[in-house]
Amino acid sequence: MNLWRQPGFWPSFLLVFLSGLVVLVLRQDTLRETAFTVLMFIGLASSLNILMGYTGYVNFGHIVFFGLGGYFGFFLVSEMGWPVYLAALGGGVLSSILAYIIGAAVLRLRGAYFALATIGVNEAARAFVSNFEPFGGSTGLYVNFSAYDRYGGAGQALWFTFILLWLVVLAVIVVSYLVKRSRFGLGLSAIREDEDTAMVMGVNAPLDKTKAFLISAFFPGLIGTLYFFKNGNVEPDDAFRFQMSLEILVMVMLGGKGLLLGPIVGAFAYERLRGYLLTSVIFKNLHLATSGLVLLLIVLFVPGGGVGWLRERFPKLRRWLE
Amino acid sequence: MRRLGLGLTYLALVGLFLGFTALPNPALAAEKTVTLGFTASQTGKLNVEAIRQINGLNLWIEQVNKAGGIKLPDGTVLKMAAKFYDDESNKDRVQELYTRLINTDKADFLISPYSSGLADAAAVVAQQNKRIMITAGASSDSTHFKGFSLVYMTYTPASLYLAGAVDLLAKLAPEAKKIAIIHEKDKFSTDSVNGLRKYAEGKGYQVVMFEGYDSGTTDFAPFINKIPAGVDAVMGGGHFADTTTLTRQLYEKKVQTKMIALLVAPPEPKFAELGEACISVVGSSQWEPVAKYSPEAAKAEGVEWFGPTVADFVKEYQAKYGKEEPSYHSAGGYAAGLILQKAIEKAGSIDTEKVKAALDDEDMYTFYGRIKFDTTPKAHGLQLGHQMIIIQWQKDKQGKPEKVAVYPPAAATGQAMVCPVR
Repeated sequence: MNLWRQPGFWPSFLLVFLSGLVVLVLRQDTLRETAFTVLMFIGLASSLNILMGYTGYVNFGHIVFFGLGGYFGFFLVSEMGWPVYLAALGGGVLSSILAYIIGAAVLRLRGAYFALATIGVNEAARAFVSNFEPFGGSTGLYVNFSAYDRYGGAGQALWFTFILLWLVVLAVIVVSYLVKRSRFGLGLSAIREDEDTAMVMGVNAPLDKTKAFLISAFFPGLIGTLYFFKNGNVEPDDAFRFQMSLEILVMVMLGGKGLLLGPIVGAFAYERLRGYLLTSVIFKNLHLATSGLVLLLIVLFVPGGGVGWLRERFPKLRRWLE
Repeated sequence: MRRLGLGLTYLALVGLFLGFTALPNPALAAEKTVTLGFTASQTGKLNVEAIRQINGLNLWIEQVNKAGGIKLPDGTVLKMAAKFYDDESNKDRVQELYTRLINTDKADFLISPYSSGLADAAAVVAQQNKRIMITAGASSDSTHFKGFSLVYMTYTPASLYLAGAVDLLAKLAPEAKKIAIIHEKDKFSTDSVNGLRKYAEGKGYQVVMFEGYDSGTTDFAPFINKIPAGVDAVMGGGHFADTTTLTRQLYEKKVQTKMIALLVAPPEPKFAELGEACISVVGSSQWEPVAKYSPEAAKAEGVEWFGPTVADFVKEYQAKYGKEEPSYHSAGGYAAGLILQKAIEKAGSIDTEKVKAALDDEDMYTFYGRIKFDTTPKAHGLQLGHQMIIIQWQKDKQGKPEKVAVYPPAAATGQAMVCPVR
């Protein structure tokens, strides 16, 4: 398949590519920070979409891979002195290995049972890290400010981290699309519609689900390392925030699950809405209530998400809005 | 000739005008607004403490401006203004908002968010953008081991939270030797008890038990049963809920010891609801309204006094915010302002390098206690001067629990007592 000739691929790719490029050209610190948060959530939501959108398995524990992978990557930076790009890869690989192990146990479950098990995994991971001394136990890990010097000072290091994140998010989009349009992706869609029938038709459901879980878990590990490196420290409570898992789920639902563009639009809309409400004079004391109300209305009246609604309303746009 | 006369008159008038404007005129002294930028947790799990901290800071801003601002030697008058956002107690918001405060809102100085984790994230941004940040409401030592040179701490570091209790034990029961430590396993409590262990062992004590419990623990029986016989002091704890339960169970199990010293919960007024179980329990607080710091005591130590007295602060705070008694969070917010004010006055400028030099030199007493910073590269900005106030619950004349400041002597309002036989 020639990726570059696929109309459904371009809107998503260009959206992220151009947003990152604009930030790099303008070189404003405030804009970079805002873009970092948005890109981080686009990456997390899109990677969750590989499992949740394509196979229909609702995963409340996506943040575990962000936390554990990020912890391991940060450990490689702060304790082993690895450069951040290699450490991030290390974090991603560890996340995938963990997904393989966790998947062997929880992917046997379906529907609500799978969802409940993933909540338990999150709590177990937090308790493990709080007691694991090489990761600093309950006090966590930190890097010395001088660690940023090898990237040309803190200012440069933050730009470098931003560029890495941008590349990672672009990679998530490419991989998401390749998975979706492959034979493997069709198998995942079949599992989502009816797992038993899919197996009768020759789909190797246990293997395909595990593969989707592995791919979905790889990217949060990368993103976690970059995020904690930017923060300069990591603690169990920040790494395994259940609320963040829920937010990522909401982003996927808001944009439209199973679609490439869905999580991107969802993450962008959710983040910008929150960012606006947080800094607006009128809403800053009411932002959580307001954003909750807006979300409720969208979920009630546009269940297919923003992109799903557009696809339904304008059938001609479907080939572009995948 | 007439033209010449007119020209000369015109020139004379212009000359007079220029002459007048060139004269120094106090009424026309330049006024500049200094923006203090910070984020605060108005929502989220830390909002009560954070709001009290902002109340303290806002009171300071109001008072400085009411007194005519800070006057610099060049005649410039600095008026203070605050700019802040809600960080929801979330770290992913903090860096974004601090970058915005510096670049978009042009904040001249920064105050940290409440809690060590959030302050750490903000410190990276402050240092990167070369802005001075005063941390208020953050007590983790490790923030200052990261190589920051522009971050200054208001609170006594977590590792010294219970150091005063060890000193008090030495005074109260010189024969005491054995200490048992039971603590919550979270960042703050672990930092505190690790510091406590090091301090106690340094003073010749033997730590005979060192056990951690998970946050949210409600049954402490396994830990209490493990306390060896003949222990002289039980120390540790964590946050309010668990420490309160631990105190009650220590009482119910009739643990015999000379001192019980715990984190966070004892200074809270609600701790008195434990009744008999809270009597003789010792706790540490960054500041208490009963503290006896005074200009006279400061003079006796040979240290300069700066800002209002304890009584004035409490009075002004209550006048502005109703009957609510200021907590140490409120005092910390106000003290952060004082630290900055003193440094700006001494530097005679708001230039980062000059104010930094003044902060490095700062050594003063305020209503909040002593302020002095570590200036070594290894732990730059760590608070060295400020001491925790050790409080103890005792019985008043009616037999009701009453909070008494017992240590250090500069702040004490009463004598400490040994745990009664249970």
